[in-house]
Amino acid sequence: MHIPDAVLDPRVAAITGVMGAAGLYYGLKAVEGQLKERTTSLMGMMSAFIFAAQMVNFPVGPGVSGHLLGGVLAGVMLGPWAGAVVIAAVLIVQCFLFGDGGLTALGANFVNMGLIGSVVGYAIHAPIRRWIGGQRGILIAAMIAAWFTVLLAAGACAVELSASGHRQDFFRILSWMALVHAVIGLGEAMITGLVVRFILLTRPDLIDQDPPRGLEPVVAGGNPSRRWLPTILSGLGVALGVAVFLSPLASELPDGLEFVGQKIGVLADGSPSSPIPVPMPDYQLPLPRLEHVKAATAVAGLVGTLVVFAVSWGLGRAFVTAGPRSERVTTDAA
Amino acid sequence: MRLEALDDRGERAGPVHRLDARSKLLFAVAFVIAVVATPIGQWRILGCLGFLLALLVGISGASVRSLLLRWAGFAVLVSLLAVMVAPGLPARAQHGLGTVILSIVAKNSLAFLMMLVLAKVTSWRDLLQAMLRLGVPRVLVATLQFMERYLHVLGDELARMSLARRARSFRRGSILSWRLLTGMLGMLLLRSFDRAERVHSAMIARGWDGTFHSLD
Repeated sequence: MHIPDAVLDPRVAAITGVMGAAGLYYGLKAVEGQLKERTTSLMGMMSAFIFAAQMVNFPVGPGVSGHLLGGVLAGVMLGPWAGAVVIAAVLIVQCFLFGDGGLTALGANFVNMGLIGSVVGYAIHAPIRRWIGGQRGILIAAMIAAWFTVLLAAGACAVELSASGHRQDFFRILSWMALVHAVIGLGEAMITGLVVRFILLTRPDLIDQDPPRGLEPVVAGGNPSRRWLPTILSGLGVALGVAVFLSPLASELPDGLEFVGQKIGVLADGSPSSPIPVPMPDYQLPLPRLEHVKAATAVAGLVGTLVVFAVSWGLGRAFVTAGPRSERVTTDAA
Repeated sequence: MRLEALDDRGERAGPVHRLDARSKLLFAVAFVIAVVATPIGQWRILGCLGFLLALLVGISGASVRSLLLRWAGFAVLVSLLAVMVAPGLPARAQHGLGTVILSIVAKNSLAFLMMLVLAKVTSWRDLLQAMLRLGVPRVLVATLQFMERYLHVLGDELARMSLARRARSFRRGSILSWRLLTGMLGMLLLRSFDRAERVHSAMIARGWDGTFHSLD
């Protein structure tokens, strides 16, 4: 998911860099306003935690392992903007000390993993949590948010990677990214869900209350029902921002592929929307047809959503059988 | 563990190590931007930048072997990404697919190696001081400083927990290990929370005012 240097179009890197810097600046201001001088210790420690947690590899299959990304986990534990700041710190350390993720792609990576991972993730989490209610709601909402943020981040990544090309390329890259990340998203949802479940069973006070614990001081007096609305709006804003600011780049170069086709005389009579059945080895990579990938992606998305929901429902049963204690906490929170 | 890379610096102080961190940071950023902004197919410019980088590696005395090893693993991933992205780039019409892919990989390698060299010749503390003086918000710098300090602590904590887990469990079925591993992460999360609280109280007791003071 970490985009390296030189893969993005320089203009895309500049735009996402500005977006990322603005988001981080706002996030820092919001967090500092709420935590005051506690910001450094809490944010620093949680960043160190997410970094350490990313080193724990989960066995997926023979020779394959995955790890936590952590945007939604940080968002659920600390609140959306604090979560984004935590992810930003992790990304900066990874970029400067390990070369993971390019310096010029830092903004894009922060938009994908920090803003979408935590702010948009929380915007998905909050209404579902409220709708289902109780500890079970927290768990199910966290897993669904984790699953969707990974897919959304993959989508944003596809937008950024293909912004200077043709629309056809966007669908090609999107399909591949989404297909791969449907699997990664399942892993993220499972890990996030199991960790949240562990916390709910051992120290429910940490996430059971609506303002996450780190942010108590300021929000304690506010009206709980209105608190998540700004989050949803800012989440929508991030998603729209990616689409609005990057789409002009795509339309500015309307027909990259068609242009190439005419240039090398292959697509002389083909319409731009045709799937290009060209036998030239240099022209199309020996990959499965785009239609198949698209269909597989759609199926993966559907199946994944159902699996995440079913598994999270199953994991949430622990809180129903836990008896009166969880009931009491639920009413307190509501 | 990957954390070893954090300790690997500052011991072999060479001429580049002693330079002002601000100039090193600015130079690295300018170099990376120049590399990224170089149009596809301009091999001469990339060659010059590569020569500059090689010169820098030579002067700094960074281990070429470790740089190349780190780069080799990374280059495979970047090549895959380049193969995915390149067919859609407008530059393909001019230069052909192979050149586009090669340029992306070459440009990325230069930028990646530059960042590694920067990390090798500048300690994290100096780098953060430089960022602070160059106008990066104070909270962010302090948070990054704090984070680096406690990365080691939490890394050690994780290693101890993992040792304890291995000492107590006989086999590792995949389902079983998922539950154990998430339990471990959850426990680490709780301990991090509590540690943040304790450390914060200790910092307040010692007159914490929001900045780390430095003698440089």
